[in-house]
Amino acid sequence: MPWQNNNNGGPWNTGGNRGGKNPWGSGPRGSGGGGSAGGPDLDDLIRKSQQRLKGAVPGGVGGGGIMLILALLALIWIGLTSWYTVKPGEQGVILRFGEYVRTEGTGFHLKLPSPIETALTPNVERQNRIDVGFRSNVNGSADYSRYDNESLMLTGDENIVDVAFTVFWRIGNAEKFLFNIQEPQEQTVKDVAESAMREVIGRRPIRDALTDARDKIQVEVQQIIQDSLDQYDAGISVKEVALEQTTPPEAVIDAFRDVQAAEADRERSINEAKAYSNDVVPRARGEATKMLEEAEAYKESTVAKARGEADRFNQVYDQYKDAKDVTRKRIYLETMEDIMQDMNKIIIDGSAGSGVVPYLPLPEVAAQRSRN
Amino acid sequence: MNVKTIISLIVLGLALFAASLSVYTLPETRQAIVLQFGNPVRTHVEPGLKFKAPWQNVVLLDSRVLNLDVPPEEVTTSDQKRLVVDAFARFQITDALKLYQRVFNENGARDFLSTPIRSQLRETLGKQTFTTLLSAERGSLMEQIRTGANRAARDLGVELVDVRIKRAELPKANSDAIYRRMQTEREQEAREIRAEGEEEKLRIRAEADKQRTVMLARAEENSQKVRGDGDAQAVKIFADAFQRDEEFFGFYRSMQAYRKALR
Repeated sequence: MPWQNNNNGGPWNTGGNRGGKNPWGSGPRGSGGGGSAGGPDLDDLIRKSQQRLKGAVPGGVGGGGIMLILALLALIWIGLTSWYTVKPGEQGVILRFGEYVRTEGTGFHLKLPSPIETALTPNVERQNRIDVGFRSNVNGSADYSRYDNESLMLTGDENIVDVAFTVFWRIGNAEKFLFNIQEPQEQTVKDVAESAMREVIGRRPIRDALTDARDKIQVEVQQIIQDSLDQYDAGISVKEVALEQTTPPEAVIDAFRDVQAAEADRERSINEAKAYSNDVVPRARGEATKMLEEAEAYKESTVAKARGEADRFNQVYDQYKDAKDVTRKRIYLETMEDIMQDMNKIIIDGSAGSGVVPYLPLPEVAAQRSRN
Repeated sequence: MNVKTIISLIVLGLALFAASLSVYTLPETRQAIVLQFGNPVRTHVEPGLKFKAPWQNVVLLDSRVLNLDVPPEEVTTSDQKRLVVDAFARFQITDALKLYQRVFNENGARDFLSTPIRSQLRETLGKQTFTTLLSAERGSLMEQIRTGANRAARDLGVELVDVRIKRAELPKANSDAIYRRMQTEREQEAREIRAEGEEEKLRIRAEADKQRTVMLARAEENSQKVRGDGDAQAVKIFADAFQRDEEFFGFYRSMQAYRKALR
């Protein structure tokens, strides 16, 4: 209990006892004993003290009365300042006359009353963030537009890039954090972070910052910030550096977008050409195959026809060999018969003279008659 | 009784007053100089409850690493490029007494320190080219500036823990020039990329056309060969057959021709 504590070590109380007049000088001791059982009630205590006072000084408030009031105020003061609580995530750092004495964990703790001991309770678990080049709003959106002086940086190939990033940090060592660097400590983190990012961006060409090397940049920047803070013995631990946005500056962003559009155009041209190629080559291959097949077919058919005709001739000839003249005449006559059968036949008499064309078109005449 | 009480109270009060004058607390973040009639007699660095004579008074100075924001300084690099450099420094009071005598307090130190830092900035960066400044050597340059400025700082009882270039910017006119250059560079790049696309397109199309032409020509060649082969075979077959009796073949073939021709 605080009162007990006070009796053990507080210089104030001994002063009170030295006065010798204080009728309740032993009071806190008595109630303190009770307090170990259940905890003294402040009102109770005051009431009892007043009753004792009345018994001791019946004439009213005199010199002793003033002492009493002072003692009472002191007691209240002690009651209010001899303890502190450390919330989850916090550390209790205790200073005695400004000198660091101890660090306590979560929970309720006693201390000597102020101003002998004072307690500081920094939160060592909370993730703190510092935005550079933009400010995140409460609703989660981010404002990138108005912090150009923070976000525009020179790259190694003398271009300018717009970089926005966030540093997440925690208190790594509460004593160092509180005692080694000037408040506000955030300012130090921010200054160092900005410097580190510019240093890293300044070493690289703009392409790195815009595309490939973002991870490397984050790691390097984090390393530089941590090294610098360690150099100050700041007790700050940098958890993460997150690049929120790296873009070309507003003034030239259209040109950069056009490069991307050009890349898309290139891809499109190539794809079109590939499509053309994919269309033309198989067709040609088909056509070539067709030509070859036709040729094969021609060859096969030509050979087959030749073989057929030759076979026919051979067979006919085999027969012809045996009866040459008869067969020859027979073939001739059969052929003539066959040919002449379906023909219009016009017979011209050789002795008819040469003045007139000796021609009577009988079939035409017959046809004319049937039309009429 | 009453008089006695009052007297004892007054004595007590005086004693307390005297005690309060001879005791002070020194926090972790401070260091103290004890002055006797304006003359420094000793310094306290360790925190805690400290004692002094009632007629002495105490000046508290910071013992932490302190911020110093150096105003932007225009620097001309060795290749005649102008640059606005915004730096900051961190310093710590190492000799409180010296500091008190020279510049009185931390703010005095800040005022005085900025001058050597700025001149070091101008001097060190003035020897470098613009690209070196951006390069990996930036760290060692900052170290040089710190070392240089530290000579002046130590004279004030102060140690520079760190000097860092926060921003190194081009003046407005120069950055506009950079923007224009960036823009034209990108335009070039975009044109080149588009042309590359066109190139690739033409190449692929030509390749396809070539393949087609070659393929068709080869097919033509082969098919002619095949046809010729067929014809040759046919010729041979006919010849073999008809050579048996050329005279009869003439007759037989004429008959066939009649059939075909006169029908």
